[in-house]
Amino acid sequence: MKNSLRALREGHGWTQGALADQLDVSRQTVNALETGRYDPSLPLAFRISGLFGRPIEAIFDPEG
Amino acid sequence: MTSELDSSGASRGDRARTHAYLNDFLPGIVGYLAVLTLVVLFGNLDGTSPLRFLWAVLPVIPTLWCLRAVARHIGRIDDFQQRLLLQGLAVGFGVAMITAVTVGFLGIAGLDMRLAGWIIFAAGMLAWILGAAVSAKR
Repeated sequence: MKNSLRALREGHGWTQGALADQLDVSRQTVNALETGRYDPSLPLAFRISGLFGRPIEAIFDPEG
Repeated sequence: MTSELDSSGASRGDRARTHAYLNDFLPGIVGYLAVLTLVVLFGNLDGTSPLRFLWAVLPVIPTLWCLRAVARHIGRIDDFQQRLLLQGLAVGFGVAMITAVTVGFLGIAGLDMRLAGWIIFAAGMLAWILGAAVSAKR
């Protein structure tokens, strides 16, 4: 699934590690999310949505 | 494309989880090595005393602590890491089972299989490590 996580993270000036700490996941997981190798669980998607203050569908594109 | 915000280093949380895992795991390994030393020095496994069987299995007891460490580690890591771990474990388990069956048949055919347990352990552990590495790279 395509997503705009990387752009959002870089927009905030965060490293993958810094974002991982805020989401309570590993840096490897953030990398897998950004590269589309891993689609997040619903709880993680909500945490991402809450952190960036955007709806889930504005971050993740199910058609991607 | 990479930027200065891309770093392959572990995050603070990653380091904390690794630290906690090692803290949990290390007593099991240290205990195993300590008991193994005692068994080698005093176990007299080549003797005839029935107690030698008890001595022979003593090193297994501290390794139960390692199982506890792995279980606690699984509870600390996130869904994606659990999936990678599961893939590695599945490969390790599959290889261990196939090795066990192979070794079993070789034993039936008359081959000396006194080291069967160690062969199965080594094959399973190696496959787990390789499987986890391949999963992480994909």
